[in-house]
Amino acid sequence: MISWPPLLVLFVLTPLVGAVLTPAVSDATGRRSWEWAIGTMLLTSAMAGALIMRVLDEGPFSYVVGGWVAPYGIELHFDEFSASVAVVCLLGLLAVVFSRHYAPAALAPERIPYYYTLLLLNITGMIGFIVTGDLFNLYVFMEILSLSAYALVAISGEKTAEMAAFKYLVMGAVSSLSILFGVGLLYALTGSLNMADVTMRLAGSAKAPLVVAFAALTLGLMVKSALFPLHIWLPDAHAIAPSPVSAILSGLVVKVGILGMLRMYQIAYGSGAIDLSGLNLMLTWLGAISIVMGAFFAVFQDDIKMMLAYSTISNIGYIVMGLGLASSYSLIGATVHVFNHALIKATLFLGAGALIHQTGQRTLSGLAGVGRSMPFTTAAISIGAISIVGIPPTAGFLCKWYIALGALQAGQPLFAVALVFGALLIFVYYIRMVNAFYFRKPQDAGASAVHEAPATMLVPVLVLATLCLVMGVLGSLPLSFIEPAVARLLAPLGGG
Amino acid sequence: MIDLLWNNLDYAASMILFCIGLYAVITRNNLIKKFMGLNIMETAIFAFIVALGVVDGGNAPIMGEGAAEPFINPLPQALILTGIVVAVSTTALALSLVIRIWRQCGTIEADELREAE
Repeated sequence: MISWPPLLVLFVLTPLVGAVLTPAVSDATGRRSWEWAIGTMLLTSAMAGALIMRVLDEGPFSYVVGGWVAPYGIELHFDEFSASVAVVCLLGLLAVVFSRHYAPAALAPERIPYYYTLLLLNITGMIGFIVTGDLFNLYVFMEILSLSAYALVAISGEKTAEMAAFKYLVMGAVSSLSILFGVGLLYALTGSLNMADVTMRLAGSAKAPLVVAFAALTLGLMVKSALFPLHIWLPDAHAIAPSPVSAILSGLVVKVGILGMLRMYQIAYGSGAIDLSGLNLMLTWLGAISIVMGAFFAVFQDDIKMMLAYSTISNIGYIVMGLGLASSYSLIGATVHVFNHALIKATLFLGAGALIHQTGQRTLSGLAGVGRSMPFTTAAISIGAISIVGIPPTAGFLCKWYIALGALQAGQPLFAVALVFGALLIFVYYIRMVNAFYFRKPQDAGASAVHEAPATMLVPVLVLATLCLVMGVLGSLPLSFIEPAVARLLAPLGGG
Repeated sequence: MIDLLWNNLDYAASMILFCIGLYAVITRNNLIKKFMGLNIMETAIFAFIVALGVVDGGNAPIMGEGAAEPFINPLPQALILTGIVVAVSTTALALSLVIRIWRQCGTIEADELREAE
C-alpha cells in the first residue's frame, strides 16, 4: 500500500473531489457539510502519512501523470521538503474541526457548504503546489490556492472584509502574473517545464533573460509571502477573515511564497547557471527589515487578530532572512520554522478565534481578565506566545537559534543582532497580551460570566499548543529530517 | 538597438502593454478600471507566451495530409488556454466583490471608500 504509485496523484485529487461535492452532499442550511469535510480531511491526512513513511523508507520519488513520461508529461514529485504536507493536513483538519461551532456563528447558513468547499480547495492548492514537479502546474495550483483564499477572506460578507479581499486580490493577481512571466521565460530558455529537466538544461543559457526570469519569480513570490515592503495586503486580510481561515492563511498560505522560493533555489543552485548572491543579500536585508517593522507595527495594535497578523510579517522575515543567508544552519532553521511557525500561528489564531467567539470582544482592553473565565484557551495562547518569542523549550526556539547560528556561520553577525532585537520587540507585545488576559480587571460584570469554549474549539487549540511544546522538546527530529534535503540543495555550492 | 526591437516586436509590444496595465492598476481610482488594468496585464503576458511558440513560416502542428515542417509549438497555446480560464475566474470573483462593495458602500472609488472606512 505504502509504495503504491497512484497514491501520490490520489492524494491531490481527494480534497479536490471532496471540495466539489460538499455543496451536493449538504442541504441548504449546511447540515452534513462539516461531517463530509472532516471525512475528506481524515482520508487526505492518512494518505499524507503513508507518503511520508515512503519518503523515509526510500528517499524522494515521483509519479508520472497519465503515463506521459517526463519531461513531456506532468510529474508529481515527493521529497523531504514535501513532507510539509503533514502540517498542511494537520492544520486543515483542525481548522475544519474548529469550524463546527464557529462557522454557524460567523457566517450565513447558506454560505456554510461553500465555506467548506473553499477551505478544501485551498488545501488542494497547497498540496498540489508542494508535490508538483512541473512549473506551469505550479502556477495553476498557486491560482487555485489564491482564488480560494480571496473568496475565504470575503466570506463573512462584511463591508471591510470585501474591501480587504479586493485589495488582496489585486496584489495577488499582479504577483501571479509576475510568476507566470518568469515561468514563461524559463520555458523560452529551456524548452521544458519539468523542474528537474529545466535545472539540467539551464546550464548554458543566456544570462540576461535568466536574471529577468528570476527577478520576476522573486518579485511575485515576495508579494505572496508578504515580505516588507510588499506586505500591505496582509494585515487587513488576515485580521478580518474568520479565525480558522486566518489560521490557514497565516500558517500556510503565506508559506507558499517561501516554498516557491525554495523551488527556485533548487533550480538555481542545481543548474549553477546563475549567481544568486545579489538576490540573497537583498532577501537577507528585506527579511531583517520585515522582522523589525512587523514587530514595531504589532506593538501599537489593540485588536488581537491585527497584532497576530503583523507578527506573521516578522516571522516571514525570519524565514526569508534564513533563506537569504544561504548557509546550511540558516537554511535548516528557515525550513523548520516554516513548519513550526504554522503550528504556533494556528494555535494563536484559533485561540483568538475561541476568545472572540465566547466574549464577542476582539480588542486587548475588551479581553482584559479573560484568563479567569477561559483558563484553558488563554493557557494555550500563552504557550503559543512563548513559542513565537522563541523561549526554550518551545518550538520557536530551535529555528531562531539555528538562523542566528547561520548568520554567524555566514560571517554576518549583524543579522543575528537584528534577530535578537526583533525577538525582544515581539516579547514586548506578547507580554502586553498575556498581561491583559491575566493581570487586568475585567471591564464590566458581563466579562466574568463568559464560559470556556466548546470542545470542538478547545481541542484543536490544545492539540496545537501541546505540539508547540513537543516540537520544542523533540526539536532535533525535524532538523535531522530536513538536513539531507538541505545538504542536497547546497551540494553544488561546495557544501555551503 | 532599433534592429533588435524591430526583430522582437512581439515581445516589445507585450512588455509595453504590460506597463500600460500596471500603470492603470496603480493610478486608477475606480475599482473596475483598476481591474481592467489587471486584465490588460494578463493579456500582455498571454500574448508574450503565445508568441514564444511562433516559428517563421511555420504550419499548424496537425498530422495527416499536407503536414510539413516547420511546425509551430502548440504547447504555449495549450498553457495559455489554462491561463485564460484562471484569468476569467479571477475576473468573475473580482467583479462580484465590486458589486457587493457597491451595494454596501454606494461607491467604488478607492479614495471615497478609504474615507468611509
